[in-house]
Amino acid sequence: MLIGYLLMVSGWLLVLASLFLLAGFGQRFTFVVAGLLVELLGLTLTALRYRSLQRGPE
Amino acid sequence: MTPDLCLVCILLIPLAATGLALIHQGLGRSRSAAHAMLATLCSLAIAAVVFVLLGSSWMGFSGGLAHTFHLAGKSIDWLGAEPLFATGLASNPTHSLYPAFVLAFGIFAAGLASLIPISAGTDRWRLAAICAASALFAAIIFPVFAHWVWSNGWLAQLTPLFGLPAFADLGGAAVLNVLGGLAALSVAWILGPRQGKYADRIATAIPGHNIVQVLFGCILALIGWIGLDCAAAILFYRITYAQILLTVINAVLSASTGCLAAVVTTQLRYRKPDASLSANGWIAGLVAGSAGCGLLSPLATIFIGLIAGTLVTLLVETLEPRLFIDDPGGAISVHLGAGLWGILAFGFFAPTTGPRPALILTQLIGIATLLGVMFPLIHVLHRLLNKFIPFRVDADGDWQGMDVRELGAGAYPEFVVHADEFVPR
Repeated sequence: MLIGYLLMVSGWLLVLASLFLLAGFGQRFTFVVAGLLVELLGLTLTALRYRSLQRGPE
Repeated sequence: MTPDLCLVCILLIPLAATGLALIHQGLGRSRSAAHAMLATLCSLAIAAVVFVLLGSSWMGFSGGLAHTFHLAGKSIDWLGAEPLFATGLASNPTHSLYPAFVLAFGIFAAGLASLIPISAGTDRWRLAAICAASALFAAIIFPVFAHWVWSNGWLAQLTPLFGLPAFADLGGAAVLNVLGGLAALSVAWILGPRQGKYADRIATAIPGHNIVQVLFGCILALIGWIGLDCAAAILFYRITYAQILLTVINAVLSASTGCLAAVVTTQLRYRKPDASLSANGWIAGLVAGSAGCGLLSPLATIFIGLIAGTLVTLLVETLEPRLFIDDPGGAISVHLGAGLWGILAFGFFAPTTGPRPALILTQLIGIATLLGVMFPLIHVLHRLLNKFIPFRVDADGDWQGMDVRELGAGAYPEFVVHADEFVPR
């Protein structure tokens, strides 16, 4: 779950870094989309963790 | 700004809260109906007081005081710095009307957003925890993001900072609905499902107890939403009179198409229209349409509403059985799902003088900020709060109902008591 949260924050930092460090529109767009995908990965991991908690042991 | 019109619009916003309250109590069980309504009142009350005391200072307003820091030669405006306790208004009677309008709007907006999670926690979220979570929401979560978007914060200053269009949210799809939806997701995860919801790991339908109130709530929500959209767009985007009328038209169109899309989707999937999902489609249309309410063409709004209504039906079908998220009022699908769609759709359909991809990029940055900063912040705060004030009622209270457990009396004392309410399990 912690990894999920860290991925969400990391994704945003990637987005922020692209704004500060990159000037080209294409590069920025790519990195923003990549950052969003990292965030979605984090959200998915967290969702799966909570699902396994709600379902209980097999 | 047109002060009289803006005031009328602000005064309509409580009808949106009334509508949402009727919807989430109607979609919950009868044994928790009074609790749900009281929780709504308490949430609105606490949000109003806390926002005036703390939140308004951090939300600030465009042209007001703000905290900034410098990074890579750029000045980043990240938090309002107005006096605490709204003393700035009282101490300066000749002050411009604008801060007072923003404060009045913020009181209702913070309250409306803070009651969205109640919908996801219906039937099991304790009143004390609801009050504490509402206070946190109105004090920290809402003001911070509202400052970024509406008070000339860094998301509104993407043009001078990075040469991109400013992130736009005319009616509060992001600031109110997505934030509220993220809080609802966090609450649903922390609370877990209602007892009996997943018997043998299969989702069981727990139907709402009063669908008539739910549908009546939709009509009230429409009026309130028109006020909300118009007030926000007048205050923060200075829309013209013609755009105010367009906002009204778009709100009706988005709600209508959202509802019709849900009716058709449920008709196709279940062979009969589902009233509760159709109500959710109505609200989802309002939510999605609010992002660009005064700027989008009616045709674009119709498309946005249709997608929102369809999306909400599919999301409910995914969250509940597959991800084991018990959200009785559908707040996550409606406010988070449709809100995100509305923000993204603004990038695709809003009129722009610059390149279209730049506008889309800006909206994606806003979405990334919501998911990457605001959601972890909300969830960490909720989890900390849960340590001190447990969110979930105990197992007996779950079956007994929140009305008897927390209020000592039911909402409908003359009704026949359901057989399973007091049966030990």
